[in-house]
Amino acid sequence: MDIVMECKDVTYSYPLTKKPAIKNLNLKLERGKFYGVIGENGSGKTTLCALLRGFAPSFYKGELQGEVLLEGKNINEYGGEIAAKIGFVFQNPFTQISGIKDTVFEEVSYGLENFGVPAEKIEKRVIDVMKMTNIETLAEKSPFELSGGQMQRVALASVIVLEPDILIIDEPTSQLDPEGTESVFSIIETLKEKKKTIILVEHKIDLIAEYADEVLVFKEGTMIAFRRKQEILSDLSFLEQGVTLPQVAILGRKLQERGLGLSAIPVTEKQAVEVIAEALQERNK
Amino acid sequence: MEKSYTEKIQIHKANKLAGLHPATKFLVVILYSVCTFVLSSIKLTKIGLPLAIIPWFLVVLVLCAVSGAMKKCIKALKAVAFIALVIFLVQTFIVPGGEVLVRFGFIRICEKGLKTAISLSFLILNIAGIFVWFFQTTENKEIARALEESGLNYKATYVFISSLQMINVLSGNSKTIMNAQRARGVETEGNMLVRAKAFFPTLVPLVLGALIGSEERVLTLEARGFSMEGKKTHLFNLEKSGAEGTMKITAILVTVLIVIGRAALWIL
Repeated sequence: MDIVMECKDVTYSYPLTKKPAIKNLNLKLERGKFYGVIGENGSGKTTLCALLRGFAPSFYKGELQGEVLLEGKNINEYGGEIAAKIGFVFQNPFTQISGIKDTVFEEVSYGLENFGVPAEKIEKRVIDVMKMTNIETLAEKSPFELSGGQMQRVALASVIVLEPDILIIDEPTSQLDPEGTESVFSIIETLKEKKKTIILVEHKIDLIAEYADEVLVFKEGTMIAFRRKQEILSDLSFLEQGVTLPQVAILGRKLQERGLGLSAIPVTEKQAVEVIAEALQERNK
Repeated sequence: MEKSYTEKIQIHKANKLAGLHPATKFLVVILYSVCTFVLSSIKLTKIGLPLAIIPWFLVVLVLCAVSGAMKKCIKALKAVAFIALVIFLVQTFIVPGGEVLVRFGFIRICEKGLKTAISLSFLILNIAGIFVWFFQTTENKEIARALEESGLNYKATYVFISSLQMINVLSGNSKTIMNAQRARGVETEGNMLVRAKAFFPTLVPLVLGALIGSEERVLTLEARGFSMEGKKTHLFNLEKSGAEGTMKITAILVTVLIVIGRAALWIL
């Protein structure tokens, strides 16, 4: 097992609060896997992202017990260089532009300029990423004039261009329309194909079901489950924990209760079509 | 052949004056301001009015016109002129002292009032005017690059430039908030009192929103390697128009002449 990140007995409280936002967290993340993080609002998902990126406690302050390790080394020891290893995308697309660049091309180039990448290499890398994120037509537009979906794609491009091995993405589609959501997830799918380690917080459970390898469930600051997505998303007992499960999983359970012998509880639309068709064929034999 | 994106973001100015390196322009601004102060100390006429700074303003107009930016500058200059006019009128009619020069019923213009009015309003007009020329002929990214070239810390440069950019963003946000408040029944149009009342419910969400947004912006910058140590690359590079030397010499020469002239007047 190639462990890329690890949380050892992590408990973290924000400043001026008594209740920890994350309690007794022990977690090992493997390189190249896609992790979906789910849970109710205020369950600690965003705090987990801040801890994994090192923003907590270095930026937010507060009290941290335990340690967060990146490739075996404490995350706070990396300093500014951590930006090259971990990419971070937030939920609000409108605060994710640098605020000092006139065009989308310059905005996407900004990180590479900070990294000191030679000018002649920057343009090619930026063009490739703009093509991948489908923003090449916006290259000469002002970042301030973009729609939410376009801005989120620019934010993703600005992080992807740095080629980090790990990407932490915190509810990237919470403020986007269905079209914007789809375009953002098509980018995430490409990143998955490139074997990046992805930690994605997302309320849209169908998208987690579609893309994640493993799922982490949080409740009131505690990680209550961390297993393969199939096991978690088909377990209706999580409904009592306030977790939203895919509609197809609930349908599958109900069909099973009605006597339709499904070989597995589906968690995606594609799986549902397959297992239900299979069960119906069995029944009609 | 189509230009590369890096080529497209460069700024090429045909006008030699507008295309001056920002550092040269800034030197002109500083020396012009010094000259304005020196000229304002020259007292002319019997009652010692500082009249020399009035024609001095023509230099700003000439600079704007020769830079080919008169249209852009005139809007900002109008606003500056309005403020200068208000100050001129207030000082003229309100400040007492010295001989009464003119009297219309209860309104009177005193010697001291007129002196202060001319001095203060034209100081503002001249100094704000030269800054108008500087900012209307220089783009933000040129200023940013020049600041970094001058050795200013990149964090300080960022604060300076993002503040300039934020003016547009905040004015856009304030319009959105204004519309939202209007939808909730807050009156935002009408006389000064109505507008003043609408100002506070607009200001609080605007300031709070900006503060909350700034937290995420800090993290965004961190995620883009803002704190990365080592040499940074710059895709945008400043160009020189070629007239820098001439402009510097002219500006220094004019300043020296004005200072010598002032000293001579003082001695004589």
